Amino acid sequence: MDNQYGNDDLRRSAAAQFFLDEKGPEGYKLREIVNSINEAVMISDINEKLEKLQKIQALILSGPDLLERFLPDILGFQSDRNAEVRRFVVGFIEESFKRNSEILPHIIGNIQALVQDTAPRVQKRVVQCVTQLYRHTLMWLSKAQSVNEQMQTVWTILVNIKAFIINMVDSDNDGLRTQIVKFLEMIVLLQTYREPDSTNRTNDFSLEDVPLTLKVARRRKLEEEAMTVFDLMLKFHGSPHISSANLMACMGSLTTIAKLRPNFMGKVVAALETLHMNLPPTLSTSQVNSVRKHLKVNLLNLLKHPSASEYQMNITTLLTDLGATTHEVMKAYPKLEEGRKRLKKTIASAPAKKVRLEEDISMNESAVDITETFITERLSPELAANLVIMAMNHLPESMPSVFNATYTPIAAAGTQAQIKHVARLLATQLTAAGLGPGATIAKTQKPVLRTVDDEEEEENGVGNSNVPDENVGPEEDNTNTNSKTLLASRTFKQEMYKPMSTDMREFLQVGAVQRILSSEESAITGGVSRVRSKILASFAASFGQKVKQTILNFIMGDIRNQINLALAWIYEEYSYMQGFTKRPPSQMDEGKFNDLQYDSLVTQIMNGIIRNKELKERDVILTRICLEMPLLTDEVINLIKNFSTTETLGLSIIYKLVLMRPMKQLYFLNVLLDNTSHQASEIREASIGHVVDLYPKEDLQTVIEEYAIYYLGFLKLAKPPETLFGLHKGRPHLSEVWTDDSIKACLYLYLSLLPINQELIHELSRVYIQTQADVKRTILRVVEYSVKAMGMDSPQLLKLVEECPKGSETLVTRIIHILTDKSAPSAELVDRVRELYRTRVSDVRFLIPVLNGLKKGEIIEALPKLIKLNPVVVKEVFNRLLGTQADSTGHSSPITPAELLTALHLIDPTKCELKTIIKATSLCFSDKEAYTQEVLAVVLQHLMEVTPLPTLLMRTVIQALSLHPRLIGFVMNILQRLISKQVWKQKKVWEGFIKCCQRTQPASFQVLLQLPPQQLIDVFKEAPDLRKPLLSHIMEFTENQRAHIPQNIMDIIKGQEERANMDFHIKEEPLSPASELTIDIKEEPPDTFSEPAPPGLE
Amino acid sequence: MFLNMSGYSLSIAVVCSSNMNRSMEAHAFLSKKGFKVKSFGTGDKVKLPGTAVDKPNVYDFSCSYEEIYQDLQNKDKSFYTQNGLLHMLDRNRRIKTRPERFQSSSEKFDIVITCEERVYDQVIEYFENRSPEDSASVHIINFDIQDNHEEATIGAFHICEFMSLLDDLNNSSVLFDVATCEDLDNDMDSLIHSYEEKVHRTLLHCVLFY
Repeated sequence: MDNQYGNDDLRRSAAAQFFLDEKGPEGYKLREIVNSINEAVMISDINEKLEKLQKIQALILSGPDLLERFLPDILGFQSDRNAEVRRFVVGFIEESFKRNSEILPHIIGNIQALVQDTAPRVQKRVVQCVTQLYRHTLMWLSKAQSVNEQMQTVWTILVNIKAFIINMVDSDNDGLRTQIVKFLEMIVLLQTYREPDSTNRTNDFSLEDVPLTLKVARRRKLEEEAMTVFDLMLKFHGSPHISSANLMACMGSLTTIAKLRPNFMGKVVAALETLHMNLPPTLSTSQVNSVRKHLKVNLLNLLKHPSASEYQMNITTLLTDLGATTHEVMKAYPKLEEGRKRLKKTIASAPAKKVRLEEDISMNESAVDITETFITERLSPELAANLVIMAMNHLPESMPSVFNATYTPIAAAGTQAQIKHVARLLATQLTAAGLGPGATIAKTQKPVLRTVDDEEEEENGVGNSNVPDENVGPEEDNTNTNSKTLLASRTFKQEMYKPMSTDMREFLQVGAVQRILSSEESAITGGVSRVRSKILASFAASFGQKVKQTILNFIMGDIRNQINLALAWIYEEYSYMQGFTKRPPSQMDEGKFNDLQYDSLVTQIMNGIIRNKELKERDVILTRICLEMPLLTDEVINLIKNFSTTETLGLSIIYKLVLMRPMKQLYFLNVLLDNTSHQASEIREASIGHVVDLYPKEDLQTVIEEYAIYYLGFLKLAKPPETLFGLHKGRPHLSEVWTDDSIKACLYLYLSLLPINQELIHELSRVYIQTQADVKRTILRVVEYSVKAMGMDSPQLLKLVEECPKGSETLVTRIIHILTDKSAPSAELVDRVRELYRTRVSDVRFLIPVLNGLKKGEIIEALPKLIKLNPVVVKEVFNRLLGTQADSTGHSSPITPAELLTALHLIDPTKCELKTIIKATSLCFSDKEAYTQEVLAVVLQHLMEVTPLPTLLMRTVIQALSLHPRLIGFVMNILQRLISKQVWKQKKVWEGFIKCCQRTQPASFQVLLQLPPQQLIDVFKEAPDLRKPLLSHIMEFTENQRAHIPQNIMDIIKGQEERANMDFHIKEEPLSPASELTIDIKEEPPDTFSEPAPPGLE
Repeated sequence: MFLNMSGYSLSIAVVCSSNMNRSMEAHAFLSKKGFKVKSFGTGDKVKLPGTAVDKPNVYDFSCSYEEIYQDLQNKDKSFYTQNGLLHMLDRNRRIKTRPERFQSSSEKFDIVITCEERVYDQVIEYFENRSPEDSASVHIINFDIQDNHEEATIGAFHICEFMSLLDDLNNSSVLFDVATCEDLDNDMDSLIHSYEEKVHRTLLHCVLFY
């Protein structure tokens, strides 16, 4: 503030001091004011303060000189913190200059400061004040004798204030705009000429009152400015997004202008006509009611005005449309006579100086008129029908409430008057859009009446010349004049308003986005779901964080159904990242984060899905995202990789990626391979499965094989390598020794590949040789499945058996065992094994698996060795030979049970201990299924015919008898035949014979009686208990029978032994004592193999 | 006290035809709530129902409520007690001395509430014809209220509710612009809109200038 009245406290108190010295009633008043002012400064309660200030104002304005004295003190309050106090200051200023124009120079600076106040309330008050101030100042200047420098300064500042206020018409404060409209009205009224038809107003001041001599404010300039301002008002009035309060204020102002300055009548009526058909689409139903009501009131007001007579038709039609009754309209008609008189007068007395102005006005009028005539000529029923039908497409789906509220049926459809009315309506629309013959003419003749200021304003506020093109469409129909209102509501144009705050903008953005998001169904119904998705994707990619988040939330909320949207967005981000699409300039600075945006979007979506384990079809969705995203960045790859170590879903995705993303194929393959040694069986098996699926692909085969062999090679190391450990392998802790798990980890993949590529088996044997015992054991155990899968006929396996690298015998044995476990050995295998056995490895155990494949002779040959083995093994051997195991497969043993038992008896005692053979025979006897009564009979029959008699013959006989007592007859037969074979010549057999006789008495008595006397004596010597029963047996014979018994025999039986045979020589048997006939099995000597036996043999 | 935070209290005028029933009911209601309110009539005369439809009681605006009360009491005390007129006049005379004609008042208001469309029109007409003063803006809002006791009570309630909404609007931060949350002119449109949504009735509204 730079005026001479400073407002600091020091000066005020100095002034107060001065006043305090005065005496008398005047002095008392002064003191009261001073005190009050001082008090007012101190009061903190705002209501009290205002009350005080009001009192002070009353006091100051009551005295003639007080104003000038206290003005600075009051102005001091203009910097008060409270807006209401500042408003008071404005009010005070207003009152002051009304009373004394001379203070204008002192307050104009304050007004300039206040008009820029931050509170719109204060600004509004200032505008209200300036509305008076401006008029007042112009009057003051006009009346002044001469204009001094001070006055000029005031005017200059005021012009600045005016410009500032006019600019504020774009303010976002509704009330402020309303007030500015009133200000504009004032300017127009003030700076135009009064006319004879003007409604009389007290204290009216117009351009005529401004002296031509006034240099600071030239009439012509002022008038031009008024025209500009009026245009601005029209523009404001016609702007499609004007608020209802502004609109009504503007309507009122235009009406006032038309009444006071009838020159403007035509433009005003045209503006109201346009408004009627183009009500702002933003208005609510009730606002439309209010606006239409107000429009009606204003039109009735205009109609009353004599100058409106030439527009009576238009106004009346409008009023009828607005629902005014004939009575109301008629009441508003001016007296016809008077109207005519006035009209004549106007024409006659039109001053020359206004010609140009009138031209301008009539120009606009005639444009509509010309077009109207043009349309009237062409508006045939046919054309009207066509227009209606074409307009049908533009009708909204449901009837807007606005239409419902404002529609009035057309009473006189089809009459000439109505056609003219419709033509008029159309003409207004066309002209507003700059179309039609009238508008073309108007364009070419557009008056150049603009100041620089005005052009700027036009740029600021896009005016009503921008009526959207849609309005021009063939939308007219005979029954609906309001359709334009509806169609206008479709257009959307940013105008008139200042940029919004960032928060607000974001809020609206998010709101808009949410509406688009929720419109999914209607978008589908309307067939624009693609467009919708494109819009959303673009929004998401190019708008701020909040919009992104909103859309992301929406997608993640229902990823199943929104996956297409998600992908669309991902692609959108991708095109930004690759530069296919340019970012809007506002986001340029974020450009460097483009890559990150793509990354973070993809990872956010994927993480969201990964975390949401409940999600239905989660696998499908995630797979789709991974496969369809345009680019797999490192971050995304890592994400997938990590995911794959926790869930098999990740693995199947990677599998698909290997197939479908050739660029990253090897990388993903490696991820799969790494997971084949994962600790968790689920992950491991899944990845092995995928690798096996991939294995047949030629380009990948080598990689996979190398990897498998590489891992297999680990087993040769002294301790497991670090590669096997780590979180991603599921083994967080490093281990120093080979564990079952870590050994297996190296084998899984290899073993899975083995059945597919059998050549790999040789790798195993090579590695096997170099491994530790623990590792070997594990290998032997786990190899089973794969070897089984390879099968007995595998040439590679056969080759391995054939070669049998040194040190891998256990492995080979194990393999042979596995192969023959459930099925009979094939001829090839048997050949290989036989060959191996014969040439290189003489361990009989090799033969066991293929026993059934061997020939009978070979088996018999190997028997001595076989039965020497561990009892369990022997048992297995017998099982194999006796076919117990192989029953199900139906293959037959090369050797029958009878043959086997016979063979056992015939083993050369020098090759095998008797004890061992006994054990082996016992095994035979224990198999009761194989060794039935008949089989045993056959065996015994066979053995009988062998010479010399097998040592174990009698033992077998006794055992057979004890197992099958019904064999007694057969045994007796044998015994008799043995006598004929002079059984006593073999000591062991003879002993057995006696034992047998002992056990089988009394049946054996018959046999005993057949013995030669010497042998009978021998029997009695060995078994004295036989004699008495035999004697009594004979005693029971009839005489006749007894006569058959030789006397010497009878003597022996009776106890008169003959000594003659005492020196009978019994051939010494070389073998074990008779006590060995008891059946007992002693421990065999420990196995000599240092290596662990194959698991099955243990 | 209806004061907004800047210490400025809105001045309200409630206008009906005779300044008897509807405007007075609202006047009583609003002043009880602490609003700065005045009431007026726009008619030429004060008209009250008489014993028959064609015999209304007509008074000049200069008559006080007390005088009218006495007059009616003298005419037919029981009838006018029964139809509630005396009760109404009794209430009125406690509020102010006499009915006031809106067109004769020189006071300025921030909000003028009218009680029927005819009154709204009359108010607009009045503003049209008065010579301009300081171009201060005023909101004219019309509530349609039928001229009987019950409707007057309901109407007064509605008006009060509307004003309270304005109060709320002023005291809470408005979404659109924090700086103008105490700004009546700026908020009027949204206020009316939210009120209409709330009570499902439509209001007429316009802005005029003194």
